[in-house]
Amino acid sequence: MTNPFNLTFPEIEDRSRRIRKNIIKMNSSAGAGHTGADLSETDILATLYFHILRYRVDDIHDANRDRFILSKGHGAGGYYCTLAETGILDASYLDDYLKKNSITPGHPVRQKTPGVEFNTGALGHGFSVSVGLALAAKKSDRNYITYVLLGDGELEEGSNWEAAMSAAHYKLDNLVVIVDRNGLQLGDRTEKIMALEPLDDKFKSFGFNVTTVNGNNPKEFAMAVKTSLTISGKPHVIIARTIKGKGVSFIEDQPKWHHKVPVGEEIYTAIKELE
Amino acid sequence: MKEDLRDSFIKELQEIKKRNDQLVVLVSDSTSTCRVSPFLLEHPDSVFNVGIAEQNMIGIAAGLSLGGFIPVTANAACFLLGRSNEQVKVDICYSQTNVKLVGLNPGFAYGSLGPTHHSLDDISTMLAFGGIDIFVPSDPEETRQITNYAINKKGPVYIRLDSFSAENIHADTYSFEPGKSVVLKEGTDISIIALGTMIHDVLDAEKELIKMGINAEILSVPSIRPLDPEVIICSLQKTGSAIIFEEHSQHGGLGSIVGEIILEHQLNCRIKKTGVPAGQFAEASPRNDLKEHYNLNKKGIIKAALDILKR
Repeated sequence: MTNPFNLTFPEIEDRSRRIRKNIIKMNSSAGAGHTGADLSETDILATLYFHILRYRVDDIHDANRDRFILSKGHGAGGYYCTLAETGILDASYLDDYLKKNSITPGHPVRQKTPGVEFNTGALGHGFSVSVGLALAAKKSDRNYITYVLLGDGELEEGSNWEAAMSAAHYKLDNLVVIVDRNGLQLGDRTEKIMALEPLDDKFKSFGFNVTTVNGNNPKEFAMAVKTSLTISGKPHVIIARTIKGKGVSFIEDQPKWHHKVPVGEEIYTAIKELE
Repeated sequence: MKEDLRDSFIKELQEIKKRNDQLVVLVSDSTSTCRVSPFLLEHPDSVFNVGIAEQNMIGIAAGLSLGGFIPVTANAACFLLGRSNEQVKVDICYSQTNVKLVGLNPGFAYGSLGPTHHSLDDISTMLAFGGIDIFVPSDPEETRQITNYAINKKGPVYIRLDSFSAENIHADTYSFEPGKSVVLKEGTDISIIALGTMIHDVLDAEKELIKMGINAEILSVPSIRPLDPEVIICSLQKTGSAIIFEEHSQHGGLGSIVGEIILEHQLNCRIKKTGVPAGQFAEASPRNDLKEHYNLNKKGIIKAALDILKR
């Protein structure tokens, strides 16, 4: 199985722009959403879904598909807009974001949204679940790769480090942990609230193969994933340095935009910047 | 012949594994707690000991189920629902993963080890969560039947499993049915309703009560959810008095369930709940002393019956 799109990097960047515009429109229309988090993860998701992940758009339950879990479930908006861009999710559902009984609720729900692998929203869960998925692949001799996207603030949850310990213990070289390292969390900068650095050393000491990249650069990110997967016997972490709110100047790197949405003139300005 | 319910549980898993290789067991350094060794010897690659990391155990179990396995977790109920409460809620119940949670040594089975190890809130917690069945076996045969049902049923299941050596109390023809309560002895004066292994104390007490001229109806409620209230309603309508015995908080356990049935169906029935009063911890004391203190032994059951019947 291969990636159904296998786009070039300029094409991925084009998709990222389209996804970002949809995020702005969707969040503005809904009047709520985690705009900063959505824009932060966009390049990572676009690179995964249009270049890296092996899956079938016409059979999203294929047992051999690569798995992706959005552990930072508050990035649901960016996730839905990416799934809509692939065609897995009908784009019309973006109009229902956060509405009553919507299949695009505020946090991902696997029973509702096509393509969503797991229910997240409470932080510190996805990593352990991904360890289980990777372990299942090993035990059943299947060669799918499990990817999990964590927020950097999320790493303050201790459960992640239980998961990290076990990923290395079980030698899960079929697990790729991606940290959306934008340096911000809800309240302020991560290093001010609870310092994570030196993050690479932390993962190294837990037995991970660690790569730090510019997470807003699809080529750099994709190459890091590919290189990582050539290394066997240990799990992989990609520390993807990103800019929270990437793509819209007045949203970038601002803690207050964690779950703020553009209104009025801001919507026009944001879309224009993304053209 | 007496058998520890944990041994009945593991024996049944060994049987199931013969025909269903997708079955895997997860423990959190609780290998001895759940007596998994016979299964482990036969299937060393199907037991995952994640170490003292209950949150991770539940998350990994959820992931294994997404990968096609049927994970059974087995550790002390206090840690299952205390430490990994949110993982149980989100990764198992809300995500509807095919994981079977076995909470061991519930109530005050750990006695003197104290409130850190007591589990007096597992039923109330699980009842408040959506999307999970809740079963409480009382003897070896019922343990095997409930284990078998849980593995075959798709979706989350919680089994409250006591570390208790017991004889079979059900008829040889007994067949566990989800939702159904069991009348172990018919009577007319009072309904005595027990949770799990409390039924053994109740049956002991019943032999004395009959000598005192009290004809008690004895009910066991192995299926907390789903629960068809019909058997309980019929009994309460017949006797007009109910006492509930459980090693659980009086808040949110079987007593609360029976109270709600009385209220919802407007039954003319007196009710006496036992267990640990709401808002209290039990002391760190041997299990038998705690059972004595909370009227959960033979003597207490007789006393409670005489009290409610005002004899």
